[in-house]
Amino acid sequence: MTIASESAAPPAAQDRVQTTRAREIRMSRTQSAPFWLVSVLQLALFAGFLGAWELAVRLGFVNAFLFGSPAGIYEKLVVMISDGSLFFDTGVTMMEAILGFAIGTVLGSAAGLALWYSPFVARIASPFIAAINSIPKIALAPIIILWFGTGLTSKVALAVSLTAIVALITAYEAAKDVDVDLQALLVTLGGSKYQVFFMVVVPATLPAVISTFRINLGFALVGAVVGEFISSQNGLGHVIYTASSFYELNTVWVGLFVLMFIGFILYKLVDLLEKVLLPWKQISASQNIRL
Amino acid sequence: MSYRQPMTAALPPAPKLELRDIRKTFKTKSGPIPVLSGLSLKVMNEDFFGIIGPSGCGKTTIFNIIAGLFEPDSGEILFEGKTTDSLRGRVGYMMQKDLLFPWRTVLQNVLLGLQVKGKSAAESKEIARDYLNTFGLNGFENSYPRQLSGGMRQRVALIRTLIVDPDILLLDEPFSALDYQTRLYLEGVLVDAVQKFKKTVVLVTHDIDEVVALANRVVVLTKRPACTKAVHDIDIKVHNPLAARSDPGFSNYFHMLCSELEIQTDKRAA
Repeated sequence: MTIASESAAPPAAQDRVQTTRAREIRMSRTQSAPFWLVSVLQLALFAGFLGAWELAVRLGFVNAFLFGSPAGIYEKLVVMISDGSLFFDTGVTMMEAILGFAIGTVLGSAAGLALWYSPFVARIASPFIAAINSIPKIALAPIIILWFGTGLTSKVALAVSLTAIVALITAYEAAKDVDVDLQALLVTLGGSKYQVFFMVVVPATLPAVISTFRINLGFALVGAVVGEFISSQNGLGHVIYTASSFYELNTVWVGLFVLMFIGFILYKLVDLLEKVLLPWKQISASQNIRL
Repeated sequence: MSYRQPMTAALPPAPKLELRDIRKTFKTKSGPIPVLSGLSLKVMNEDFFGIIGPSGCGKTTIFNIIAGLFEPDSGEILFEGKTTDSLRGRVGYMMQKDLLFPWRTVLQNVLLGLQVKGKSAAESKEIARDYLNTFGLNGFENSYPRQLSGGMRQRVALIRTLIVDPDILLLDEPFSALDYQTRLYLEGVLVDAVQKFKKTVVLVTHDIDEVVALANRVVVLTKRPACTKAVHDIDIKVHNPLAARSDPGFSNYFHMLCSELEIQTDKRAA
């Protein structure tokens, strides 16, 4: 190994310089906006919004009967927490949404990836997928309630109908876009179609699949709440619907804020999942240039 | 037995790889495009075999046929004298793009081929660490490709190619995306590795410089549809990127191959 040993030092040294440079860039980015400052500004923005709202109600600019007020919302919140109803209703809605999300996303993604496996089936299925996708799924809600009853199952089914098609289309499109050269490389190494699927297509599609989780969490909550609007005995959708028909706007706001909070927490969970499942993506994000 | 053995020996050895009258036409919407029109070539054992030709003449198609990614319309592929469909799973294919899997670490990328072949993980990791040390990549086992420079990535790709112990290395302009310094360095690494592991190599390149320095035999292709225009033995003492460039024969070979490619451009203009 004459050449290699002679000139091994310069390129290797260069490589190290490049990696440290990348680390410097990453550090300068995090230093430019410290975490505490961002958090303080976010809290200030939220508090300012509530304060302005409350002030507007007190000064009579805004009608509390039609819009509610932060103080009234807080009162309702305390009541609903102390009688335990808030936790129960939140639990019911979360259960419906998470089940619907999980079933819909898993089935949809699996079907989308399976279509990569058979272009023939994909060709046959494609007009049907487009047709199903173009139905406003919420329009199915009355039929779904007829089929699955007024309990948990119908809300889960509605959430599945909303999430599955999104997951299917995203997974299939992403799988079709996987770099052909990477697939070819595995084939030249002796890889079978099965191996190309599990060693190239699935991992390459994973970022797109996980990013649909965010969209689908929102859709699953829509499915659960709309299902509850139409027919239910409990859940946040039920709370919002009944309260609004009695003009209890503060109760409606409690329901909405809790929904927002659930959505936020689930979104953060997807971020966490992304960090665990896609460690290689984190690195590329931290090498962003400064603009 | 070395490839330097004269061909006049009593029983000439069968070529490592032989292509006989390979034809391939691609069907496109704007009509059929013939790419290979009866290409034949012989690669002997432990040859460093260079293929040059005008750009777009179908060099990559030849590799894709050998590697079993495309099927030829007609013609024969012979491996060690026996007809075969393709060398799928027996070649080490290296392209201009490093084609490292971004979701795999350096170590996992290197292990890709062994994993495909179902080799035991523990044993493979031992071998992989040896290679990574030899190629100056120790300490980067758990890095992702995005964290490496272009030269390092191509070195990882080279290890991934060598570690499966392929019968033939197919190199499709493997270093053309790199800067000159890194390219010379990697050419040296490649030559050393090929000699150490006694590999047969087929190298496709635009770089006449590179092919004269590295190859012991060069085939010049015609423009598309490609067939063999000329075959030259490159008789240079040491095939190593720096020493070869200062060999007295180097510039003669260089100009000969240049003029052969230029004649074709003249013909096209006429």
